[in-house]
Amino acid sequence: MADATLLNLLLALPLAGIALVMARRRDDDAGIRRASLVVMLAQFVVAAWLYARFDGTVAGLQFETRVPWIADWGVYYDVGLDGVNLLLVVLTAFLGPLVVAGSWTSITREVKLFHAMLFTLQFAMLGTFLAQDLFLFYLFWEAMMIPMFLIIGIWGGERRIYATLKFVLYTAFGSILMLAAVIYLVHSNFNATGTLSFAFADLVQGELPANAQLLLLIAFGLAFAIKVPVVPFHTWLPDAHVEAPTAGSVILAGVLLKMGTYGFMKLGFPLFPDATAVLTPTILVLAVASILYGACLALVQTDIKKIIAYSSISHLGYVMLGLVSLDLIGIQGAVVQMVSHGLTAAGLFLMVGMIYERCHSRELAAYGGLAKVVPVYSVFFMILTLASIGLPTTSGFTGEFLVLLGAFGAGWQSHASGDALPLVAACAAVAGVVLGALYMLTFAGRFLFGAAKAPHGTPTDLDAREKAVLVAIVIAIFALGLFPEQAMQKTELAARAYQQLASASRVDVASRGLAPRASLVKAQP
Amino acid sequence: MNASTLLVALLPEHLLLAGIVLLIVLDIVGRAERPALSIALGAVLAAAVAAAALAFSGYQAEPFPYELAVDRPASIAKAFVLALALPVLLLARDEASGRPFHVLVLSSLYGACLIASSQSFLTLFLAIELMSLPVYVLVLLAWRRPESAEAALKYLVLGGAASATLLMGAALLFGGSGTLALSTFSHALGSRDPMSSAGLALVTAALFIKAAIVPFHAWAPDAYEGASVPVTAYMATIVKAGVLLAALRLFNAVPVERPLVDLLALLPLVSIAWGNLAAMRQPTFRRMIAYSSIAHAGYLFFALLGEGSGRYEAVVFYLVTYGLMNLLAFAALPRGVDGDGWEDRLDALKGLFSRRPYAAVTLAIAMLSLAGIPPLPGFVAKFLVFRNVMDAGYTLYGVLGLVASYLGIYFYLRVIQLMFMSPVGEAQALGQERRMALVASLACLVPTIAIAVYPDLVLRLL
Repeated sequence: MADATLLNLLLALPLAGIALVMARRRDDDAGIRRASLVVMLAQFVVAAWLYARFDGTVAGLQFETRVPWIADWGVYYDVGLDGVNLLLVVLTAFLGPLVVAGSWTSITREVKLFHAMLFTLQFAMLGTFLAQDLFLFYLFWEAMMIPMFLIIGIWGGERRIYATLKFVLYTAFGSILMLAAVIYLVHSNFNATGTLSFAFADLVQGELPANAQLLLLIAFGLAFAIKVPVVPFHTWLPDAHVEAPTAGSVILAGVLLKMGTYGFMKLGFPLFPDATAVLTPTILVLAVASILYGACLALVQTDIKKIIAYSSISHLGYVMLGLVSLDLIGIQGAVVQMVSHGLTAAGLFLMVGMIYERCHSRELAAYGGLAKVVPVYSVFFMILTLASIGLPTTSGFTGEFLVLLGAFGAGWQSHASGDALPLVAACAAVAGVVLGALYMLTFAGRFLFGAAKAPHGTPTDLDAREKAVLVAIVIAIFALGLFPEQAMQKTELAARAYQQLASASRVDVASRGLAPRASLVKAQP
Repeated sequence: MNASTLLVALLPEHLLLAGIVLLIVLDIVGRAERPALSIALGAVLAAAVAAAALAFSGYQAEPFPYELAVDRPASIAKAFVLALALPVLLLARDEASGRPFHVLVLSSLYGACLIASSQSFLTLFLAIELMSLPVYVLVLLAWRRPESAEAALKYLVLGGAASATLLMGAALLFGGSGTLALSTFSHALGSRDPMSSAGLALVTAALFIKAAIVPFHAWAPDAYEGASVPVTAYMATIVKAGVLLAALRLFNAVPVERPLVDLLALLPLVSIAWGNLAAMRQPTFRRMIAYSSIAHAGYLFFALLGEGSGRYEAVVFYLVTYGLMNLLAFAALPRGVDGDGWEDRLDALKGLFSRRPYAAVTLAIAMLSLAGIPPLPGFVAKFLVFRNVMDAGYTLYGVLGLVASYLGIYFYLRVIQLMFMSPVGEAQALGQERRMALVASLACLVPTIAIAVYPDLVLRLL
């Protein structure tokens, strides 16, 4: 019982943060920042404590609270931790204080509203990860949209209104179809079992006809694919990233994008295994397209933020690839990759924000030779670049390597049974790694080396606050890169459970007349 | 029928009537000016409490058999409608609305209460007229400018047309069955008799006109714009609630069958889509709310597609949350923005957050809830409606309705965008903050948040 209290405390802290910020005077900027930092740090401590207490050898949910909320509808306030959301919750809580510290000097207008929105966002993000009830999940999922809308729209760049409306209209469209799917799913589950329930645990056991599954997975998948974003639903992302303030970009890249992949992992694939089997080739193609297309676009960008934005699309393609491989190693790699991308992209966006604060330009061509001017900055930048590429000992390596290992494992298996597509996809993904190294190194080369130049005079090097933020991120990156087994041991059982659920139908798909390509080919004499 | 039944069963109505009489007497004596608001508030509050008490004690009676019946659902609906009228009265405190204002509002409320209890076409017609007629005057009352007269006339003519349609439909139904009981309507839902079907269609059309469903919606934007703020709020919440309560009485719990299903699904669907699309292009706040109310009328009629048992819950919950949202929006609207002429433009909201943070945040909450964005109550209401529609097997209509509702997100967010993201427009004076409007907005904000946190609070009652 005491354990569950700890988890509820984690969810209550952002609300306390909102109250604390609201209670302050509107012009008390410093006080608001300090109070926010303290609450965010407390939140991280609670999350770290939960991480330490989480037992990786026990399957199922831990620290669970389940109380009726809307009794007649079978809706419960149901939150709990499994291995996968554990890591993402820790990531969310970890980025919280960094975002506050990172915006210490760059946000000067409406500081009170800004921090209230940060806490609202934290609350919604933690809630989305923790929810074990579909209704609750949807509530938190949608609730993320509005604070982000305001953060981009109020503190963003020149074209912020266009960018923020595009972001909201894209995500809201996905959500509305997901809502229809939620209603239909719960209704048909009710017809089949006679109990009205939104609990993931109950819905997963439902046996839906394959055609219904297909439509439902498309509806859910569209919402998630827009969030990830998977090519071709990605066009909102570069605009949102470019126009968002640093804090917005960090949260967007660090956590919000993972909502999509987490959604696929928690809901999309496990709920509809038959449809997953049918759609696997499509998802594979889209994942690889995201990896390659994102990398190619990153290669030709002239705006620093856009390079990182497109690299996010590419990196999340690996996550999708790992998830859809349904290979245990690939799945665990996908989870590590989610966290790793959260750290590196967040760090890079923070660093871009720091240089933007000094030089007021995001044009890559305006910079050069920063290594001579701001050596400390450049060292951190180089570490993050290498982590983003996936250099061994960094978290990026663990994630990408495991994903590719899993993808090849699954590829060989289906190749043996006559389907070459997964293997081709895995090979293409390797090409993505090379492209990734190419665009990131080109970027870092032009940015840090060569003749020294920077707009608006010589920038100053990092101050203590900025160093502290970056040191925290770099430590996390190396920790995950050097000692991944610690985290993987906590996620293993959850990944296994996902693997079992998502591949549940492979066996009997053929008998339902909706065979995936592999078994179709195999059936031929 | 005995005297005590008559007294107890219609206690909410009696209290309203007492308020009306008292107001008129004081008016004759010449002392109505100051205590008018307190008397009206007291009467409505007492009536709401009486209705709630009747509901909780499970009181059931037929003071006039076959004409009026009081049961738990009716009393609950009355209690909610009356409670929603309280902020309207508070809003009116700051308006230069003449003396008859309170008498008219109370009479209109009397009609709305009767609707919830009516059992025959005779009482239903009387009740609807009693609710609508004072509103024609109210539209004209507050602003003596040409547009108001035009709006009132338009509203009157279309209201008259709706009444005539309702009467014609009732007559046809009477011709087919020989009785004026409302149950003839629900019986006709299952019959193939052309006369009954024609009656059915006409009565439904009358409801559509009253609720401003496309293509009978043209009066709403003009009337909403022409009236004063409290009257607009009253029309958007109470009058709409009255019409939907009438629809609930008529459809009862009988499943709707083809071809009426398609009529009942398509026109509201078009309303949702068109209301949301047209709202994007409106230059003024009240015209925008008028189109939004056209869309919301669509959702409300969608709820009637659902299975019988869930209809009452869905419609009443929607009415309560929708009413709260609208009232919250109107209460939060600062003076200067809601005024006459060019100041009514949406542009006047630019940069409101930096000048009036509380008003901006409240208005934003109202807009988000109207857009149906979780976790605000508007979402729960929308969820309930579409869940019922899809549970009844109309999956396609449910999905189309949801997609049409997506169209609405943009213009609600635009209001937020203007308030939070745009710099303050041309130097424009915002009037004094109005104390009563502040009280009214708090009276709406507290239940809004309570319902968001714990929807069962209201759902359990239904």
